[in-house]
Amino acid sequence: MRLINNSKKVNKKDIGKLLSQWSEEFVVFVPSKENGVVMMAKWDGTDTSFVDWYRNTVIPPKAHFLPPMEEMFRFQKDKGSYQLEQPASDGQKQLIFAIRPCDANALAILDKVFEDAYEDPYYLSRRKNRLLVGLGCTNPYDSCFCTSLGSSPSDAANVDLMLTDIGDEFLIEGVTDAGKQLIAQTSGLEEATEADDSRAKEVREASYHKVTRRIDTKDINSKLLSCFEDEDYWEKVAAKCISCGICTLLCPTCYCFDISDELVKQQGTRFRCWDSCAFPIYTKMPMENPREEKWRRVRQKVCHKYEFYLMNFGVIACTGCGRCIRLCPVNWDITQTLNSLPAKT
Amino acid sequence: MEQKLRREAKALLEQGQVDYIVGFEPGSLKFTTTPLITRDKEEVDRLVINPFIVNNLANFLTELKGRVGIIAKGCDSRSIVSLIQDNKVAREDVVILGIPCPGIIDLSKVEELIGKDRDELEAISREGDKVVITADGKTSEFSITEVLFDNCLGCELPTPQEYDILLGEPTLPVTDRSASQAKIEQLKGMPPQPRWEFWSNELSRCIRCYACRNVCPACFCQRCFVEETEPQWLMPVPRWQDNLMFQVIRNIHVAGRCTDCGECERACPVNIPLRSLTKEMYDIVGELFHFKAGMDKDTAPLMTHYEQEEAEDFIR
Amino acid sequence: MAITDISHRKRFLAQGNVYLPHIAVIEKIIEETPGVRTFHFNFKDEKLREEFTFESGQFGECSVFGVGEAPFCISSSPTRRDHLEFAVQQAGRVTNALHRLGVGAEIGFRGPYGNSFPLELLQGKNLVFIGGGIGLAPLRSLIWNVIDNREKYGNIDIIYGARSPADLCFGYDLDSWDKDRAVNMITTVDRGDEGWTGRVGLVPHVLEQVAPAADNAVAIVCGPPIMIRFTFPVLVKLGFTPEQIITTLEKRMKCGIGKCGRCNIGNIYVCRDGPVFTYAQIKSFVSSEY
Repeated sequence: MRLINNSKKVNKKDIGKLLSQWSEEFVVFVPSKENGVVMMAKWDGTDTSFVDWYRNTVIPPKAHFLPPMEEMFRFQKDKGSYQLEQPASDGQKQLIFAIRPCDANALAILDKVFEDAYEDPYYLSRRKNRLLVGLGCTNPYDSCFCTSLGSSPSDAANVDLMLTDIGDEFLIEGVTDAGKQLIAQTSGLEEATEADDSRAKEVREASYHKVTRRIDTKDINSKLLSCFEDEDYWEKVAAKCISCGICTLLCPTCYCFDISDELVKQQGTRFRCWDSCAFPIYTKMPMENPREEKWRRVRQKVCHKYEFYLMNFGVIACTGCGRCIRLCPVNWDITQTLNSLPAKT
Repeated sequence: MEQKLRREAKALLEQGQVDYIVGFEPGSLKFTTTPLITRDKEEVDRLVINPFIVNNLANFLTELKGRVGIIAKGCDSRSIVSLIQDNKVAREDVVILGIPCPGIIDLSKVEELIGKDRDELEAISREGDKVVITADGKTSEFSITEVLFDNCLGCELPTPQEYDILLGEPTLPVTDRSASQAKIEQLKGMPPQPRWEFWSNELSRCIRCYACRNVCPACFCQRCFVEETEPQWLMPVPRWQDNLMFQVIRNIHVAGRCTDCGECERACPVNIPLRSLTKEMYDIVGELFHFKAGMDKDTAPLMTHYEQEEAEDFIR
Repeated sequence: MAITDISHRKRFLAQGNVYLPHIAVIEKIIEETPGVRTFHFNFKDEKLREEFTFESGQFGECSVFGVGEAPFCISSSPTRRDHLEFAVQQAGRVTNALHRLGVGAEIGFRGPYGNSFPLELLQGKNLVFIGGGIGLAPLRSLIWNVIDNREKYGNIDIIYGARSPADLCFGYDLDSWDKDRAVNMITTVDRGDEGWTGRVGLVPHVLEQVAPAADNAVAIVCGPPIMIRFTFPVLVKLGFTPEQIITTLEKRMKCGIGKCGRCNIGNIYVCRDGPVFTYAQIKSFVSSEY
């Protein structure tokens, strides 16, 4: 929770003017509802009613960087010969408006794996071209637990600009150079007063305490390590899981993908699409499947996020957004599992 | 009813009549329940019966090894019978604790009526044919038919016919099913082009999470057709064309087994109106074959037998 | 941090994109057994053909365009660079498609990925190669590598077995190594047939009978998981420490570069941190599900 100097503000009623200006340089994405499903969609140019009802999206903003499906390259078949054609790098400049701190932090977590060793050109080129305008939460869900993971509803760590809801107005602060630059070239912003700044501070404090769900992450990786082989424990934990992909596909820090080819007559494409370690065939080889049993897959999901990713990259692959809890068809709750790990024997 | 349920379930475990009890316990979110699958007779005290017991627990029968004492609403009991018809579960291996069900509350309908999310509400309680909802200290009352799931509004068998223990007084089926059929009739009335656009648009949101398949007791294949690679029937890529084909084929595969429990539509995280497909298939099965899934455990499953009198007009 | 530093590994990236394969042409196909074929290939691009290097143990992702990609270890030796080789056992979609290809067909190949057999640790040592079935493929790259630099290494024992005489792969190599006086070649089959006059016995049993000395030795084991699981205890019994035992692990792979997530064992990615591991490393994995 930092206060950055030289903050500006804009009245909520004037958000449209702000977005219009930004639309000149960026394709602007805002929260929208499609058949009741909240997701980021291209701004239609007029509607800013999301300001009243928006809490968080169902589809996480990782979809802008690691889309549910994308073409990796195309190929042409000419008799027995192939010509590969790489798609033009996705250089579309996008501005994602009102991304929540948990989702922005998730992108920073994902960066680590996509930058590691062999850079992933698809993900990273998109990261370069997209600006994140964060919006602090004032109404966290009962499933949110960001405060247990070193973050908060007003965490500006990984956005370019940060907005804080101070009532009728949004306080605007530049975080990165790109963000500060955008503010500098935006007209129609008022200077924020000291009263505004202290109101923002109150709002942030209040929001922090509205997050009631908590987990204890102290020594979580060694706790998980010590119960790793406890088959009975994990069988019980996994009993009601139905092995669908909701928790992982809609998780902002999950990144598993599948690669598949299609060839129709002489034109073909290699696709990349979302995949999930929860699916039974995820690790299946012709002769054996190391995660045939459901409890192994559930254990993998929990341990990858709270132990393995931590070991490899120094950060837990979870930001406490709560989507997995809200959307699970059987209300399987990772916080319940993490809060009841068996003690070291 | 809850007390009786806990007593009976505990007795079943203590007497060794079942290896598992499968029921509902309070969930970790407000107005939510979650499946309880346990061998521990102490945990049975957590069992609940309330207007939020959504899941079709028959789904767990094909993976549990041993005898199971299972809590079943009307639709769930039909799924159990359907599994028995398919020889996936033996009648002697289940003890059905039947619950006459007056309907389950659809939280998304409640959220729509009140204009608030589930976690912002204070109380939801059913009082006869009314529901009382408290939010921000204010209460509002609605007819129960405004908040029940669509399939509950058309329920044909609220009280299990096949059971070992019945927990409560039988409830009568719904007589006027028009509210439950509204969306389906509307789609049937659309000409082909707009209807095609409707579905291609809806299925564009699909992310291939397979929750619809995995919550369904009728989908019990060890290896689903989408998981086959030789030949590969569908791409794993979530294009609307592949997504639509997945739904079409899944519906054909579960025809005659679907009991309209509505779980597929409820589980979908991107609000695809799946019941509009499954219920239409259910109705077609009823029209063509005069068959309703899961009614009589001694009947053969629909697609495995042939009657001479069956329609042949599709053979040209 | 458990992440391996792989900055020193050469990268041959087509157009700067790690996922884009290079086009290669199949030059020769050898039918090793009814279900196993070896493919000899070369890159279409002249420059790449000359510049491409790899180390024994590394693998590449081979594409049959329109069908998919699969990981195969490079079974030729870096010391014999007129072509590259990999061996394919028919098992699923991509491998079946590969088996339908003929000489002259174009495939995609990207790599080399993964780590390699640690030659520095093997130099001056007596080497015991233990292979089963198609597991000889990664081993043969190393065996020829070692034979081509013979003076750097001590004794060479090769114990190789297959289910039956018809399942023995790389017969031409087995013959060469049998004739090579500087190599002790022991071939066995689980079950003989009428024509078979050689040894019969499971590889771990034959290993126990041959009982190579553990002193100043390193064992390199490749084969089906079940063979490996029974071979390790025999080696330990013979006095090999876990650091003296090397193997390669196999997992379902897609990206081959540690990103798609599926080949992990705990925090280790077999494609990125392996596929070559010592038994000591395997014992230290957080998960025993290798």
